Amino acid sequence: MNAIVLSGIWGVVMMFAGLFLKSSKQIQWTALLGIIALLVVSILDYQAHSVQAQTYFGMMTIDVYTSWFSILITACCAMYLLIFHKDIAAVGKNEAEYFALIFFVMCGVYLLASYSNLLILFLGIEILSIPQYILAGSDKENIKSNEASLKYFLMGAFSTGLLLMGMTLIYGATGSFDITSEKFVGQFEQLSSMSSLSFVGILLLLISFGFKVSAAPLHLWTPDVYDGSPTAFTPFMATIVKVSVFVAFIRLFHFSFGNVSDAWQIAIASMIVLTLIIGNVTAVYQQSLKRMMAYSSIAQAGFMLFSIFAVNSTLAYKGILLYSVVYSLASIGVFAVIIKMKDYTYDGFNGLAKKQPVLAFTATVCLLSLVGIPLTGGFFAKYFVLSAVVEQGKYIWIVVFAVLMAAISAYYYFRVIRSMYFKTGEAAMHTEPTTWDKTLLILNAMIILLLGVLPSLVFG
Amino acid sequence: MILLEAFSTPVNYFPILIQLVLAIGFVIVMMGATHLLGPKRKTTDKLENFECGIEQEGNARQPLAVKYFLVAILFVLFDVEVIFFYPYAINFRELGWNGFIAVVMFVAFFILGFTYIIKKGALNWED
Amino acid sequence: MLILLLILVPFIGGLASFLFGEKMAYAWAVFTSLLTLAIAGTAYYFYSQATHTTDLSFDCPWIESIGSTFSLSMSDGLSVLMIGLTGLLFPCVFISMQNKQPERKHVFYGLMLLAQAGLIGVFLAKDALLFYLFWEVALIPVYFLSSMYGGPNRIPVTFKFFVYTFVGSLVMLVALLIIYNHTPVHSFSWDAFVSVGRSLPEADQSWLFWMLFIAFAIKMPVFPFHTWQPDAYEQSATPVTVVLSAIMVKMGLFAVVRWLLPIIPLGSIHWMNVVLLLCIIGVVYASCMAMVQTNIKRLIAYSSIAHIGLMCAAIFSYSNNLLGVQGAYIQMFNHGINIMGLWILVSIVENRLGTQDLREMGGIAKIAPRFTIALVLISLANIALPLTNGFVGEFMMLNGLFNSISTYRMVFTIIAGLGVILSAVYTLGMIQKVAYGELNEKTASMKDLTMNEWIILLVIMGIILFLGFYPNALMLLVDTP
Repeated sequence: MNAIVLSGIWGVVMMFAGLFLKSSKQIQWTALLGIIALLVVSILDYQAHSVQAQTYFGMMTIDVYTSWFSILITACCAMYLLIFHKDIAAVGKNEAEYFALIFFVMCGVYLLASYSNLLILFLGIEILSIPQYILAGSDKENIKSNEASLKYFLMGAFSTGLLLMGMTLIYGATGSFDITSEKFVGQFEQLSSMSSLSFVGILLLLISFGFKVSAAPLHLWTPDVYDGSPTAFTPFMATIVKVSVFVAFIRLFHFSFGNVSDAWQIAIASMIVLTLIIGNVTAVYQQSLKRMMAYSSIAQAGFMLFSIFAVNSTLAYKGILLYSVVYSLASIGVFAVIIKMKDYTYDGFNGLAKKQPVLAFTATVCLLSLVGIPLTGGFFAKYFVLSAVVEQGKYIWIVVFAVLMAAISAYYYFRVIRSMYFKTGEAAMHTEPTTWDKTLLILNAMIILLLGVLPSLVFG
Repeated sequence: MILLEAFSTPVNYFPILIQLVLAIGFVIVMMGATHLLGPKRKTTDKLENFECGIEQEGNARQPLAVKYFLVAILFVLFDVEVIFFYPYAINFRELGWNGFIAVVMFVAFFILGFTYIIKKGALNWED
Repeated sequence: MLILLLILVPFIGGLASFLFGEKMAYAWAVFTSLLTLAIAGTAYYFYSQATHTTDLSFDCPWIESIGSTFSLSMSDGLSVLMIGLTGLLFPCVFISMQNKQPERKHVFYGLMLLAQAGLIGVFLAKDALLFYLFWEVALIPVYFLSSMYGGPNRIPVTFKFFVYTFVGSLVMLVALLIIYNHTPVHSFSWDAFVSVGRSLPEADQSWLFWMLFIAFAIKMPVFPFHTWQPDAYEQSATPVTVVLSAIMVKMGLFAVVRWLLPIIPLGSIHWMNVVLLLCIIGVVYASCMAMVQTNIKRLIAYSSIAHIGLMCAAIFSYSNNLLGVQGAYIQMFNHGINIMGLWILVSIVENRLGTQDLREMGGIAKIAPRFTIALVLISLANIALPLTNGFVGEFMMLNGLFNSISTYRMVFTIIAGLGVILSAVYTLGMIQKVAYGELNEKTASMKDLTMNEWIILLVIMGIILFLGFYPNALMLLVDTP
């Protein structure tokens, strides 16, 4: 709870920091101070809520799970800010506002992790989305950035409309927004007694969430937005925001709609198949690494959808926790290298291993993790979400299909490794990495490797 | 029941289909016919937008200074915030000190926002 | 603990090699690999004397929430043999490389040692998840090695190899997961897998069989999954090819024996004839291909497919006297030794003459007698001449195939026997083209073996002859499979 308040207040603090602090360094330090404070507060929250859950007038339920997720996601965000703070400040003139918006997004993240009322879910999604529209367009001179912002805004508004429509229908069927209330729970106890209003409502919610997590066929905004946004913000949108929406997704669909999974499981299954095919196959044809990572984030969303698909499984919940952390760290690690380069095409990375062995090594660890090679956290992330499905005993074919798609993903991830290690070239740098950057990147890679050996560390 | 079942085979819907085809066909034929047969006289005056009989001047889609939008948006923002005072004013006594503290917090945030706008120079008309 | 050292020493040694830099790299790699060999030797001694058995297995909880333990064990003759082969091979390769060092030595040796750690892990793992982990971990350093060092076409070829094996192993992972979900108390341990796998209905076993077998078949490789192999062998640097052909392909055979036959017994018997057919086709096809090769590396690559095909057939023969599978065990070790010797010789030829083309060679026997002695002896061992190590294994395998429970055992045995004859044809042809005939301007400047190469080849030849005269040394190990 304190984390929600602090993230909101720190957003305001950052706004005023922009007014009163003159040097860019000081603003960056304020932001870093804020995220560290947020981390500390969420750890304190965890200890406070580990004894018993607290509900705020039935609007939110903060228990040990949500506060644990808050810690993990705050840690990922801290890693993001530590690595990218200079790049964020370099995007444009309003540097303090960028940090402020990031803190506001974090506020939405905490709401999404703990809502127990559909209104808070809506509020969380909006608080999460609106700052992102601004962040996407923050490079004002760049027409691609403008395009990204506009596209994201229109698509986001559209999906919000569907979300509201779905909530309305569900409210019509149940007479309650409170997902813990008797009326709400009773409605979704079994499929036969569920009204058709709820059925349509669930599907609309599914579509809206599909938009937010960029699952095919609702992914069309993703490549343009992720590619057009300033490179400093793309990893934030593709990782921290996306996995938070996944946690909100799983919260609603497992805990509330879990008993009526027959109504929506097949829809999720077709989403998974489409997402994996489109994400992976299209990524193969990309020439720009940034755009490839956009498609890869679609493909990875396909794997994360498995955790929604495997209803009421503890493995799925563990899987999404691990996947969130590992995927976030790995993508941040790759983007941290991309942003240092002058040329975002594969050829721009030729010979990086000779020139910047540390960057090449950390990027390799992150890429291997994204492929899902053992000894990196990515392996266990995929392992948990897939084994949650295998555990159910049906739909084995979709697991086999997913692993074949993982093999396709090896193609484009390894293409980067090939460029860096086996080809010769200039690998022109945009900014030279400092020792501080390198230390952080190595730390990031080490965490990924550590989670590849001891994944239970993130289960809390 | 037997009667109902007798009427629920696809064949029984055939008249409806014919009706549908005829209806759509009639519309298409009539629209096409008027389009082809009717006389057409196109003049500039006839094709112009009708604006209360006044001759139009220039293009309506002219660039507008972004400051107007800014002020308009800020106005809406503060306007909506002010509306929150109505429910408070009505329940002033019942809410007591707790309500007062809440409103003071609300106003404080309000003022913070206002200071931010002023400091940012959003209301400066001259550059 | 001893067994844990077997993995840790090359693993830490490999990591350290990256840090030590180029100067120390070679000495450090030789030292580490010899240390590993010493540990492997000690482990062998413990095993043969049946003392210190607690040292030969290691167990500690790993990911308890899903029932996976970090459990290693050297409990049967097969793992002893494979560990022995892996321990022996790396120092031999390293020492033979003394004269021809690769660029960026510390990277090369570091990756080699990491590969060794992964391979040893595969042979020791008694937990399915751990096995899968090592299976992949062994692949990654080899991928980097083959892509960084080797022929001009190495990058796409190695990538093809990687994608092949990666697809196979992912499908294998799904199969392992399915079996895991049938275990009553969810556990990845080998014992649990064996007890639950047996009880699965035959219909399930028959498709689980393919999910596992394809992964292993790609690794071996069995016809028609072999297409990555000749290219990869040709393009990789020869020391890496040694690792690939002497040990990595054995991973596939090993996995069949350890993780397929006991776990999916009904499925294996169900598909036995199909597998035997593929293996036998592989033997004949690869032998014919070997006969027409002009590139010496491709020739040996195809000969390797033929030999592996026979071993796989023997493992699947289900002979009632167990001779087939025992022969395959012995042959896995011996083939590793022989093929290592051949590759070392090939790399010598390649480095001295600068060509892999058989048509440009000839007459080496006149100026390089020591080289020729080694070439002839090792090649003869490769075609299983009596009194060399290859003979016993090959004899047992054919015997096993003959006593197979398969309906078509006669046909299979006869065609496999034909494969043995063909192997003599192409191997002798190779000796003739390399060592005999007229000298040309390329081969005229060929220098004979240097001291370190001669020592390594003497060791290999010693092993070949010793095991040829006294095969009991290996028979004792595989007597109780």
